[in-house]
Amino acid sequence: MSEVARLQLICLSVVGSGILILLFIKSVFPRVIGFVAIVLGLFMLTALAVPQMASLPPVEEKFDIATVKTPTDLAAIGQKIFFSKGQCALCHTIGPSESARCPDLKGIGAKLSREFLYESMTQPQAYIYKDYRHEGLPKMYPAEMPAINKNPIGLSRNEILSVIAFLQQMSGEPISINPSELDVPGQAPAAPVKAAQSGPMAVAQAH
Amino acid sequence: MGYQGGWIQRLLRSGSGHGGTLLGFAIAAGLLSLPALVFGADVAPAAPTEYRDIPYVGSRNVIWVVAQLHLLLAGFVLGVPMFAWVCEVVAWRGGEKRYDKLAKEFTKLLTSAYSTTALFGGILLFLLIAFYPKLMNYLTDIFFPSFIVYCILFLVETATLYLYWYGWDAMQYGGKKTFHIFLGLMLNVFAFFIMIIPNSWATFQSSPVVIAEGTDMARAWAATWNPTWWPVNIHRIIANVVLGGYICGAYAGIRYLSAKTPEERDHYDWMGYVGNFIGVFGLLALPFAGYWLMREIYQYNQQMGITLMGGFLSWLFILQAMLIGVLFLGSNYYFWLGITYRIPGSALKYRKPMLAMLVVLLLCLAVWMTPHSLVASLEEAAKMGGSHHPLLGVLGVMSAKMTVSNLMILVTFMSFIMYWRAGKQDTAGWAKIAKAIMGAILVLAGVAVIILGVWGYFVPAIIRINYFSTSQVLIVIGVMLTITPLTALLMKSAKTTTEMAWGKMPPRAGYSLVLNAIMVILLMTLMGYARSSSRVHWHVYGVVRDTSQYAFSPALGYASGIMALCTFFFCMIVAFIFWVATMGDKAKAVSASPSKGELPHGMPAMAGASSALDAPKAPKF
Repeated sequence: MSEVARLQLICLSVVGSGILILLFIKSVFPRVIGFVAIVLGLFMLTALAVPQMASLPPVEEKFDIATVKTPTDLAAIGQKIFFSKGQCALCHTIGPSESARCPDLKGIGAKLSREFLYESMTQPQAYIYKDYRHEGLPKMYPAEMPAINKNPIGLSRNEILSVIAFLQQMSGEPISINPSELDVPGQAPAAPVKAAQSGPMAVAQAH
Repeated sequence: MGYQGGWIQRLLRSGSGHGGTLLGFAIAAGLLSLPALVFGADVAPAAPTEYRDIPYVGSRNVIWVVAQLHLLLAGFVLGVPMFAWVCEVVAWRGGEKRYDKLAKEFTKLLTSAYSTTALFGGILLFLLIAFYPKLMNYLTDIFFPSFIVYCILFLVETATLYLYWYGWDAMQYGGKKTFHIFLGLMLNVFAFFIMIIPNSWATFQSSPVVIAEGTDMARAWAATWNPTWWPVNIHRIIANVVLGGYICGAYAGIRYLSAKTPEERDHYDWMGYVGNFIGVFGLLALPFAGYWLMREIYQYNQQMGITLMGGFLSWLFILQAMLIGVLFLGSNYYFWLGITYRIPGSALKYRKPMLAMLVVLLLCLAVWMTPHSLVASLEEAAKMGGSHHPLLGVLGVMSAKMTVSNLMILVTFMSFIMYWRAGKQDTAGWAKIAKAIMGAILVLAGVAVIILGVWGYFVPAIIRINYFSTSQVLIVIGVMLTITPLTALLMKSAKTTTEMAWGKMPPRAGYSLVLNAIMVILLMTLMGYARSSSRVHWHVYGVVRDTSQYAFSPALGYASGIMALCTFFFCMIVAFIFWVATMGDKAKAVSASPSKGELPHGMPAMAGASSALDAPKAPKF
């Protein structure tokens, strides 16, 4: 018997006890307890009828540099991070959506340089991308991009580079990140990706 | 001791459920297993202890139940003084003594309820220090100054409560009564601050802010002013009014069911009406506060908002819709029963409107409970053309849900107005025009809410959230603020055609009051779980990670078991408090005439239960 079935059995017995109390006991207080038991039992049965989803903490996936031989391997890891630990897909769409709360990332790897992408992820307030999907002046998107190299997401430099590789691959661009650029455990980390020096130029490209 | 095993997580990952744990919990009955703490802790830990556990039951379950009970009791203890004070003011200004009696009857509960709440607060604190020493150390470092303020407030609140209760009869007339009313006000002011200080600790866990270097006070102040602090404060204070009102209603319902004399039936029928009225009064405002809170959460952190509304907690909001829907139905049903049984001749007149309102409420509830995406097999999904049902998917989005929740509030408000007007005849010359204006306002507001809801599908989310949903809320508030004073003015000069017949309600009215109270308590437990689970695997979101074996959030089925358990325990505790507090009344009824100031023989002198306090003393001039 599954755990859900066992819990349902407990709920049914609670409801049954309540019904029996209401049927055979005349004193007011026990009858009210019986009534409460029925209500609580039915509530639990309803809660057991909806999908049972527990929220598990993310498994600490280690970025195994030994498995990354080609830029395509890197992009494959980036794709996994994009839809899991990175939580990018929670807000961003790949393709237009009227109700989007963040910029659409379709083709973003072709529009923006890797430096600009890196800066957008680690210093999202350096340049605020605005919503042009309507008439009049551009507006702010409702959601604010978090710095994804900090908690609660906390991607490492290697992970961010792999996400950039995924965005470039998804946009049909050649992947500009070479596996040799990745930090190797035990060695001094490489210098962070240099952000674009000229913000306005990068912004112009973004349109 | 840092946990390495994580056997519960492994169990969950392998697809096992929680029935055994729940059963274990029920058998172990929480606190009885406290002595087992010693077995759960490592002996001579090398590193500072991060967590301790209780075998079989689990530290998280114990904390869950104790914290929830403390919160419910605190809500009750903070809600009742508001309720009692308003009743006392009504009696003071309006001269209706029965309101004063009602206020006193509920204040009598406060002393024992207050100590029970403090008892659970103490147990919770000890357990938190024992189970989560690292986290408590972190929070103490930040909030220490507010701990001091909290303790001082408790002292002041206790002194005020004692003065308020024990001085009730001594301060009945003249300037003394004014001072007593002032004491009641201060009781509520201190209680409000007692509520918002722990709120700052809890909301900081959900929405922490960057704490700059500075004095202890500056750091505590910065942490206190986190983005969800005020939304939670406002939401909780309204929820406390609702809880206080509905618990009063449930108590009245039970006493009404067991009433032996017509006088008792009259009194408890009336008390049920007052409790339900105050509950509904708060309930109408609660969704607005909830909406504001959710907006702030989204603005603070998109991921947290999505976890709540679209992530693993999305089905929780279907359950929430069900509970709120039943609460709205129960409250309206009680109003309708009142119209039918208390106001002779009104049943026929209002039957059709009541039926129409029932249909609207049920339709709204159906829409509110519609999930956006359905659980479907691959085959079913292929037939539907995706995980969203072509029809239901449209109804399951926020635009539809905001619309129906506003409509339900409007309908409930109409029920209340209908009850208010029943059995009265307008005499004012402008009554016809006023009624036409009120009717037009209601119809226009309903239509506007629906139009904005439908329009919401065709605009970007930002427009819908910032303008359309807000406009819907403002329209409904506008309706209430216009129609209530207009009706009050009309009723001032209205002629009573049928006297209110108290004590004629059928037994199902009593049960509906109990049902409403259970719904409110369940809602509070459900949202407690939502608030805690929205932090996912963080003690302090994004700052202090939960590395214990309980870093997961359990599924709704298991969680509902704990919620039901908390609800049941809370009801039993409240029943005990009522029983203790009314012990004096029963003894007084049995005893022929005990001499003044003397307790009946054999009756324990429980705090607040002294029969001597029940008899109003003659004023001294």
